[in-house]
Amino acid sequence: MTYQITRTITRILSGAVLLIVYLVQVTGRYQSGVLAMNELQSLAQLMLVFIGIGIGVTIAVEIVFHILYSVGIAVKESVKVEACNDKDREKDIEEDIEKNIKQEMVEDEMAKLIDLKSLRIGYVITGIGFITSLIILVLGYPIFLMVNILFGSFFLAGIMEGFAKIFYYIRGV
Amino acid sequence: MGKKFEITNEIRKLRFFADEMTQQQLAEKAGVSRQTIVAVEGGKYNPSLELAFRIAQAFNVPIEEVFQYRVIEKKKKTNKKGAQS
Repeated sequence: MTYQITRTITRILSGAVLLIVYLVQVTGRYQSGVLAMNELQSLAQLMLVFIGIGIGVTIAVEIVFHILYSVGIAVKESVKVEACNDKDREKDIEEDIEKNIKQEMVEDEMAKLIDLKSLRIGYVITGIGFITSLIILVLGYPIFLMVNILFGSFFLAGIMEGFAKIFYYIRGV
Repeated sequence: MGKKFEITNEIRKLRFFADEMTQQQLAEKAGVSRQTIVAVEGGKYNPSLELAFRIAQAFNVPIEEVFQYRVIEKKKKTNKKGAQS
């Protein structure tokens, strides 16, 4: 599996986990009576907390992923070093390992094009979420539901964007 | 008759003649990831003009030796009713 696909899968997983945790929190708080249908202040607080957590988790996951991925490449390449007895050649291979890590993580024109195309899909899903939330409001459902659909659509857009990226990487642009 | 266009490449052949150059080596020379070279070679991605030139430069050949632009003639489905009358 390539660097871009592995990175995207990691992002999808972290996004999905965040969405599930948020939904569990909202449902739990609503059932326990902490959140009321017409009281949006607590909901806004919870959302802000989750946005903060989301940013923190994304940064942490990216850092851990890059460390683990670099270690993975280094371990794979170090087999070559072990097989080599010549010390001068060992240095070359160690340089190769560094070069390979950099080479794998390069973001080129194809990656940028795929990013743009999948971002467009993300925007469409966010738009659909926004329209759905308005329809929900027009149909007479509480604003609590509307705000949650809107918030959920952002998370869902991020996840779908990831799936679109994987699709483009496998099928081609 | 409908016309369809296709961009083909000879990267695999050129890599073979360049001492079996690996995709990784070509990616390094062209300044892109190996995945992009895999996609270009497999016809899954049409590179920009700049990348196309860089790939050609990596093999020291003119760009038309690496990439070809072909027109495929595609026959239109014949209308049975039209054919009968």
